[in-house]
Amino acid sequence: MAATRAGPRAREIFTSLEYGPVPESHACALAWLDTQDRCLGHYVNGKWLKPEHRNSVPCQDPITGENLASCLQAQAEDVAAAVEAARMAFKSWSVHPGIVRAQHLTRLAKVIQKHQRLLWTLESLVTGRAVREVRDGDVQLAQQLLHYHAIQASTQEEALAGWEPMGVIGLILPPTFSFLEMMWRICPALAVGCTVVALVPPASPTPLLLAQLSGELGPFPGILNVISGPASLVPVLASQPGIQKVAFCGALEEGRALRRSLAGECAELGLALGMESLLLLTDTADLDSAVEGVVDAAWSDRGPGGLRLLIQESVWDEAMRRLQERMGRLRSGRGLDGAVDMGARGAAACDLVQHFVREAQSQELNYDTLASLFPQPAGWAEIGPSPAPPYGLFVGGRFQAPGARSSRPIQDSSGNLHGYVAEGGAKDIRGAVEAAHQAFPGWAGQSPGARAALLWALAAALERRKSTLASRLERQGVELKAAEAEVELSARRLRAWGARAQAQGHTLQVAGLRGPVLRLREPLGVLAVVCPDGWPLLAFVSLLAPALAYGNTVVVVPSTACPLLALEVCQDMATLFPAGLANVVTGDRDHLTRCLALHQDVQAMWYFGSAQGSQFVEWASAGNLKPVWVSRGCPRAWDQEAEGAGPELGLRAARTKALWLPMGD
Amino acid sequence: PRLHNRRTWVSECVFLSILDLTEQIQARRSVKKEWQAAWLLKAVTFIDLTTLSGDDTSSNIQRLCYKAKYPIREDLLKALNMHDKGITTAAVCVYPARVCDAVKALKAAGCNIPVASVATGFPAGQTHLKTRLEEIRLAVEDGATEIDVVINRSLVLTGQWEALYDEIRQFRKACGEAHLKTILATGELGSLTNVYKASMIAMMAGSDFIKTSTGKETVNATFPVAIVMLRAIRDFFWKTGNKIGFKPAGGIRSAKDSLAWLSLVKEELGDEWLKPELFRIGASTLLSDIERQIYHHVTGRYAAYHDLPMS
Repeated sequence: MAATRAGPRAREIFTSLEYGPVPESHACALAWLDTQDRCLGHYVNGKWLKPEHRNSVPCQDPITGENLASCLQAQAEDVAAAVEAARMAFKSWSVHPGIVRAQHLTRLAKVIQKHQRLLWTLESLVTGRAVREVRDGDVQLAQQLLHYHAIQASTQEEALAGWEPMGVIGLILPPTFSFLEMMWRICPALAVGCTVVALVPPASPTPLLLAQLSGELGPFPGILNVISGPASLVPVLASQPGIQKVAFCGALEEGRALRRSLAGECAELGLALGMESLLLLTDTADLDSAVEGVVDAAWSDRGPGGLRLLIQESVWDEAMRRLQERMGRLRSGRGLDGAVDMGARGAAACDLVQHFVREAQSQELNYDTLASLFPQPAGWAEIGPSPAPPYGLFVGGRFQAPGARSSRPIQDSSGNLHGYVAEGGAKDIRGAVEAAHQAFPGWAGQSPGARAALLWALAAALERRKSTLASRLERQGVELKAAEAEVELSARRLRAWGARAQAQGHTLQVAGLRGPVLRLREPLGVLAVVCPDGWPLLAFVSLLAPALAYGNTVVVVPSTACPLLALEVCQDMATLFPAGLANVVTGDRDHLTRCLALHQDVQAMWYFGSAQGSQFVEWASAGNLKPVWVSRGCPRAWDQEAEGAGPELGLRAARTKALWLPMGD
Repeated sequence: PRLHNRRTWVSECVFLSILDLTEQIQARRSVKKEWQAAWLLKAVTFIDLTTLSGDDTSSNIQRLCYKAKYPIREDLLKALNMHDKGITTAAVCVYPARVCDAVKALKAAGCNIPVASVATGFPAGQTHLKTRLEEIRLAVEDGATEIDVVINRSLVLTGQWEALYDEIRQFRKACGEAHLKTILATGELGSLTNVYKASMIAMMAGSDFIKTSTGKETVNATFPVAIVMLRAIRDFFWKTGNKIGFKPAGGIRSAKDSLAWLSLVKEELGDEWLKPELFRIGASTLLSDIERQIYHHVTGRYAAYHDLPMS
């Protein structure tokens, strides 16, 4: 019989049946930090970048406060160096066929698998998150993501024919983020051929480790660069000339500020703000399982943006009883303990919570700081009142006189008077948006088939009106043949979008969850469209058709030079369409654009006009953070299939909602 | 309680994310070192040490009863300072024809470990009600103080809940003073909703325990089924104030499994259910594995087959 090793406590535990600690060793994470002499810089172009004379912040264990390493804070020139490295890497990375990128991403997934212990230990040690969550969740999902996007990349030439990678993506991560959130954004960018510069908050070693793993893979060291620095570097990164797109994750107000500062810049902006999840608990639910889901989402380490729980009144008491009972059993403790439900969140998360509270307290927003950027147009007051304008504004399903009772003359190509159109103003826009809102619930609730039928009816009406429309176009200097072709093409566009909306119904995805996931394409709401000056009929119809096909209601500002064609179409819409579905407001384009862009209850806006106008629309969209699509003064070939009816219009006209349908047994 | 007054207790219900949870239960609630040793010894006190084979003889039963009295080697218990805790298994569980042997053997060993007998046409329950009831009475006469009855699965699958309730009431009556442990045979009930309803009805009809399986079905004690049964027990307790016991059985062979079952009950029902009056584990080979783990904990070595007495 060997010597006894048993501790003295078994007797007590036999009675109390308490849980004990299940600690995981963090030696491998410390060993990795030692390879950097406990001093972390940035990882750029496959090399560690540790410039001199930089401030540093300590990276601490959130539980013990022990100093694990010191992290150098980047300055503007470090950001510039990283963007330059990514720009150079883009040249080779983007020209390789998709299959090469797919192989590289697969190798990255393998390397993550090889070093997974180091990854999860480091992440848990530094962030205090429960190690189980990182090990079984983040690290595994990160590999799945890489494999998924590798497959996407390998079929890219067929699936995304005609699309090109944007270039260097600037990724900005919030003060607290998970390893997985970062991967969500990096993987698709790399897969399509973009390269990434990620700006991470100070003292976040895991992204640096990931960049190192990626960099050491060999042929493409500069595709993923990580810079560690304070939030003050966000505008610096966003305004770097080499950056093509900024992907921002973080607080609402910071996103709004970034939207304003990037207005009119060449970089596109993607915003992921707040990231709050919503959970509805109804009386048909299995309450115990639902409570389990709530606890998982809210108090384990998954949701960084918090959770909003709505409980049906009839099950309120039962649900709360179960929730409180379950909360009583929640175990929290050191992240590296294998048996805790919730790790330590650390000081940054605490700050974030307080930030949310402060934000809720100060809901007043200021929109007018930059209003002088886009002055009220001079000159529209010069237009005198006209005794009997032939066309009114098409609002709420009928032609109406404008609030200002004034109209503007429209000239044809030879300078003669072609007709008078109404001069719409702010009040007319307000009325049009209201009418569109009233029509929206009914229209969005229509089946895609019913929407298609209406678009087809409009197409038929357009063909009946062909001779009138063609002669109107002729007076604008279009040759008769070309004019007839434009009318025919317009009718085809209407039919095509009707058919597409019907065919591209909602799709069912099979995911690794229990129960299928529905991918829904949902309308945006009231969509404001400012049409270009050219192609007065075709551009109007090409924009109207996808917007309506996906269930939006619209307020359209037609071509300023020749709004008459759009108004001709309105005569058919007046008889065919429900009131308020499509509203057309003529007048001074800049003034109407201003009214629409500043309208808080317009859900999205498309603007085809000058670069200055685009800048204003982007800036003003920060008010309600509506998605905007602007042309920045670039002309578009509306008669070409790709630009006039390409998939981009469909993607812009709706948003995707994923709906998980959990199933029993 | 009459069934028709309580019909809403058995209302329609669906079970959604139970699988998600059960995948995590082992990983989230592991116990190590002396915690593990103490938990394993506790698990021993929950075991219904079982033999249900065609080749059971009186000498088999005698050996089983001895093992029930001395489940862990004395020197191992001494090393853990647990030798004076009187650790035995919770009961022995045998076929009705072997009840006499077990009662005699335990008497000879001088202990009062209860003898449980399976009954009512175990394992399929496909015999006449009359003989099923008679089987209970005979086992009680022979000295069994706990009766593990199987329910009539065909009543569940055809939705005859009243008839099921009435049958279990008759079992209850036939048991007299003996404890009634009702085996739901969840592997043959078709859906989790049926498991919940059957659990509720078994409890309303007066069962002292509800038990997952006979150990003879193709699917035995699984975590999703257990969670549904545990939640039914909790709902019943919230509604009536009566604590009903839970007994998983079938397929629980390793010490690690038994720890997961303990933490599952602790999580779902709380510490007050972690006593032999309210929690049992039906098992035959589990005890040997627990003893091996205790041996390793105490000595730092893995036991050879012949180091530990067989059960």
